[in-house]
Amino acid sequence: MRLRVACAAVPALIGLVVAGAAAPLFWRGGSLNLAEAAALRDAGEAVRLIASGADPNATYPLRPGILAAESLTPLEAAVGARRAEMVELLMLHGAKVDLAGWRRLNCFAQKTGATDVVTTLDHFAPATARASCEGISTPF
Amino acid sequence: MPAPRLTVYACAAVLAAAVSYGLLRMPLQLHDAVEEIMAADRSPGVWASFTSTIGETAYFRPLRIAETKLLFDLSGGHYFAAYKTFHIALLVAAFALFVALLPIETWTDAAAALFALTVFAGLHTFLGLVREAFPINHFLQVAVLVLVAVHLSRARPRTAVDVAANIAFVLACLTLESGVLVWVAAVASRLAGRRGISDRGLVVMTALLAAYGVVRFMVLAPHVQAMANASGYFFERLEGPEIRARFGAGLSRFSVYNVLASIATVLFSEPRGGVFVFFRALSLAAVPPRMWINIVSSTLTTLLIGVAVSRRTERRGPFGSAVLIFAAVLVASAAASFAYAKDEIMSAAGVFYALVAFWAVRELLARNLHRAAAALVSVLLLVAGSGWAIRTIGVAHVLRTQAFTVRNDWAEIPEAMEKRGTWPTEPSTQQLVLRLRDGALRMPVVNPWFIPRWADRVFDGDYF
Repeated sequence: MRLRVACAAVPALIGLVVAGAAAPLFWRGGSLNLAEAAALRDAGEAVRLIASGADPNATYPLRPGILAAESLTPLEAAVGARRAEMVELLMLHGAKVDLAGWRRLNCFAQKTGATDVVTTLDHFAPATARASCEGISTPF
Repeated sequence: MPAPRLTVYACAAVLAAAVSYGLLRMPLQLHDAVEEIMAADRSPGVWASFTSTIGETAYFRPLRIAETKLLFDLSGGHYFAAYKTFHIALLVAAFALFVALLPIETWTDAAAALFALTVFAGLHTFLGLVREAFPINHFLQVAVLVLVAVHLSRARPRTAVDVAANIAFVLACLTLESGVLVWVAAVASRLAGRRGISDRGLVVMTALLAAYGVVRFMVLAPHVQAMANASGYFFERLEGPEIRARFGAGLSRFSVYNVLASIATVLFSEPRGGVFVFFRALSLAAVPPRMWINIVSSTLTTLLIGVAVSRRTERRGPFGSAVLIFAAVLVASAAASFAYAKDEIMSAAGVFYALVAFWAVRELLARNLHRAAAALVSVLLLVAGSGWAIRTIGVAHVLRTQAFTVRNDWAEIPEAMEKRGTWPTEPSTQQLVLRLRDGALRMPVVNPWFIPRWADRVFDGDYF
């Protein structure tokens, strides 16, 4: 009988103690910069960072394992991560692209094969933009 | 208080505190909640809120709307604090009422109670009580009121008990359609021999049920079938129009499927929302560990309950009562799911499943068994208990994933509401929504990138 009691109680006790006492550990994360937030579909953090003064057009370092680049702008990170909704969000919150920048992003998006990102970028295309990617270098 | 009981109460308190902590780390919900908060802002008073939706929609949940307004007014502008406090108060009440139903005198009782506590919190229907709030979680409110009714049925019979039971019934019915489960639990308790709620009290409650039925289904919303919720059907998820196109608008084999699927989800953790996710994954040869954990822990526990029920010597008594109440709540909840299968609707049945698990495990622990049978029961308890422990730990994972999703929803405000045409025109309500958004965005949540990859495979998540 003792064995049965132990078999019923021990896993439950471990589960309850871990679920209870260790709960705060589940809520430990880390801080992201704006490009990392853009790459990791963290729209909430991206908007919070911009509202706190982060420049949506600056270049930020990326932690290894997020994207195959050491540093990117938030827009480049969003395109590299194939996040069309993040591209739109950044544009709505102050990100800007000139003709050269747009062509670079457009070619980058085409290279990743994300058609929804290409379509989203098209909404923000400068009037004189051309679709050719000849001679355009992309982050990766 | 005896040490075994104290141990179980302490574990329940720690678990309730941990889940409450998760609720506090989660921003107020946007979808299905911000419209309610905006309506509370516009409403001139609690009574006006109470009457505002009667006859306007297919639903009849005036108390939820009134509570939202009451908390809004009481909050003094601290909306997050008000709605979260209410959610946590209900959660603590659910834990307290559940544990108080368990007679814990010995360490054997305590072992069964700890097992049942992990079933209570680990079963996927529990997630429906904590993952969302609109901004009030009406499923949790109904579960608490059903537990109150069961407690009252065990009390010393007196007029005050009858009055309290009928108040609980009215509150539950005005909160959510599932509120009729209070009547179901009260009648089942009476059939099981509990006389706390007198026959006179039950007659009054039955009359109130009849009145509710007339008002809800004949006067206010005769077209209940027109509900257009999405639901699962074997391996696929169908949208409302697809359901009507395939099965028609009335009762059909889809209704029967929903009822059976709702019963099965409590007993076997499968299907989920009407979709057989485990068998679908099995057919693709890609079953993540979490699905094995869910289905094995639930199936073994249901098996243990079945064995204990079939071998119990007393037909009546507390175990028999618990089984009868569970069966009644299970069948009634499943019947209420005839239009669409939704795991949250089965949350009250999930609570009573855990209660029956307590009695079954207690019976199997106390009974003299042959060596082989004892060994087999030990193994089954160890495997099932380990599964429930993992599922209980996984509640925090589900909450932090939900927190990330909710915060991201707020990032799209006001643009998303403008696009949908729901952005308020009054400047004061606009300011209210922007304040709620700013509050949500200020809350630190965990980006899934920081969560180990295995967590998504081991702990439960959203299937749709």
